[in-house]
Amino acid sequence: MSESIVVKTVEELKDAPEEYRDAVAKLVISHAINELYGAQVFDEPAIAYAPTPYAKWLTCRVAMEEYGHHVRFKQLGQQMGIAEERMVPGGGKRPLSIFEFPLKTWEEFVAIKLLADLAEILQVEDLLHCTFHPLRNLARATMPEERFHAQFGEDFSAELVKTPDGRARLQAAVDEYFPYLPSFFGGSKSKNNEIFRKWRIKQRTNDEMRADFMKRATEVAAKYGLTLPEVRQAA
Amino acid sequence: MSKLVALPAPLLQQLKDETAAAAWFAALGEPFTGGDRADAEAYAASLDVGALELGQAHDWPEAERVLQAPDWSKEWWDREEAARRALLAEAQKHHPERALWTALTELTTATGEIVHGKAAAAVARMGGAAKASIHVAAGAASQAVYQLALARLVQAPSSPFESKFRLFAAGRWPLGVVGTRLVLF
Repeated sequence: MSESIVVKTVEELKDAPEEYRDAVAKLVISHAINELYGAQVFDEPAIAYAPTPYAKWLTCRVAMEEYGHHVRFKQLGQQMGIAEERMVPGGGKRPLSIFEFPLKTWEEFVAIKLLADLAEILQVEDLLHCTFHPLRNLARATMPEERFHAQFGEDFSAELVKTPDGRARLQAAVDEYFPYLPSFFGGSKSKNNEIFRKWRIKQRTNDEMRADFMKRATEVAAKYGLTLPEVRQAA
Repeated sequence: MSKLVALPAPLLQQLKDETAAAAWFAALGEPFTGGDRADAEAYAASLDVGALELGQAHDWPEAERVLQAPDWSKEWWDREEAARRALLAEAQKHHPERALWTALTELTTATGEIVHGKAAAAVARMGGAAKASIHVAAGAASQAVYQLALARLVQAPSSPFESKFRLFAAGRWPLGVVGTRLVLF
């Protein structure tokens, strides 16, 4: 059952119920940290693997946009009174498993942009109707860039699959990386997700988002003649 | 180990002011001026990759071909990367790592917003560019500001990143080294 509340400004948040404030803070912290991890472990290292200056500077821009997302979420968090230390890695929160994948090749980065950024789009989409409007607005500002990053994955996938060797290398990268992704959406019985939905901060259950992701990931992979490996669903 | 000192706020503010005042992408495709040639020669000399002729891309499709040319110089890119890493290591000796990282991230984020819009305006004005090229141009320009910030923080005036930034500030885009040519747009 959801509660009816709309919080239009950071100032209004002070008057919101504690459970609502805590839930919003958890989401902002999570996004700030994840955007930073993604930029640090994938986007920035990928610049070295990019095959041409065109691809290198495009990757630079993507990395800077991801760092920029971290900056925006962190600024919102600071306005909410969250200490900066809680919104950067090392603050006691373990990174998600998807960030433990060691990037080794350009093809792996393209697979990550194709599939992990699709997962990120789903997470941001779920905030587009968030009852905390500063977070909703931030999600809306971020969305065009997230879509561009996923398109980056599609464009370079299209390039790679032009040759049998490129297709094989990209498929191998998908096979290796994709199994990390379904757990990105959290557990089926997540208490946090229950609270997010109760207050309409988020709209869907983790399982609904995961199922949607599996469907969309299968479709986008098929566009480029790729298949997704079987993965055990998160419990 | 040297003593860590706070980041110099006036220096960072000056960088922001220079970034805001630069003529980003305003002279793409235009004939070279004497100043462009002088800055290009200074940039080429500081790269130390041998004698380079000056080449020009006249429009976006030509620039895109240059940026994806099979004979682009990895040596040029690697030299810049080595210089960047050396400057970063030096800066980290003198400034708190978190504060340095935060300042550079915030600078490049703010720069990205400016140069992305300027690149989009140049594409709209000239036409013929692939959609992704706006992002490529913005990436190159933001990287140049990040590199310049490092050079300024460790006071390295002979760094290639000073002359490289001057080219961007004058409305040019140094596309890089292809074969034996330094190509400007």
